[in-house]
Amino acid sequence: MAKVTREVVEKAGVNVDQLVELLVKNASAELTTFYYYTILRMNLIGLEGEGVKEIAETARIEDRNHFEALVPRIYELGGKLPADMKKFHDISACPPASLPADPGNVRDILKVLVEAERCAVRGYSQICNMTAGKDHRTYDLALAILNEEIEHESWFSEFLGEGPSGHFLRRGTTSPFVSKFMM
Amino acid sequence: MREFTEEELAECNGKNGKPAYIAFNTMVYDVTDSFLWRGGRHQVLHEAGKDLTREIEDAPHGPDLLERVTPIGILKRVTH
Repeated sequence: MAKVTREVVEKAGVNVDQLVELLVKNASAELTTFYYYTILRMNLIGLEGEGVKEIAETARIEDRNHFEALVPRIYELGGKLPADMKKFHDISACPPASLPADPGNVRDILKVLVEAERCAVRGYSQICNMTAGKDHRTYDLALAILNEEIEHESWFSEFLGEGPSGHFLRRGTTSPFVSKFMM
Repeated sequence: MREFTEEELAECNGKNGKPAYIAFNTMVYDVTDSFLWRGGRHQVLHEAGKDLTREIEDAPHGPDLLERVTPIGILKRVTH
């Protein structure tokens, strides 16, 4: 634990225990989403599915990166990951992104993907709101993750016909915002 | 629809096997089966068994998400 770090954040008015619990729940959401997206990606097949597979894969890898980036901050603030993986799954900040009943329906898979991203956008917005101007490092991290989650949401939203995403897909690299936390 | 007093609502806090109900404006919703309300807590900060009308103002979502859960009653507020 980084003792002074925690003290400074507490002194700034953040309930650090609540913040750490939220970070753990969101770390769980990232790792479980990485797992569930693996299944979704495998089922994105055929003429329709292949077009979505690449962005689903990018989102999957970036969600794993988010998990990796969150964990050090949890421990710095005096928190820890649950020893029991089953418990870790069940405290996720977002519901499981389970394969829909008809795995051949790409639109149904896209709905699962976009819902997962929207849950993440809400979660990191909440953490940003809690930490803005108070816990600069957690804020910086949550904002970096939020930037990527927003892009994921917009990609899937575009494929659902909700309007243009406003930007291009990744070109060669992943996590343009979060990579600085993964050195 | 069933009418709930604040005390009756408070009993349904999702803990120890009890159902998890929340209120927004005048409506009471059953969130017992929601993954996001496991154990009667939502995103660390919110507890079931309460009127969350004010808390939702600061939430990163609007009341539209309540359309996904079942309304089961009306909250009877006591005016002093």
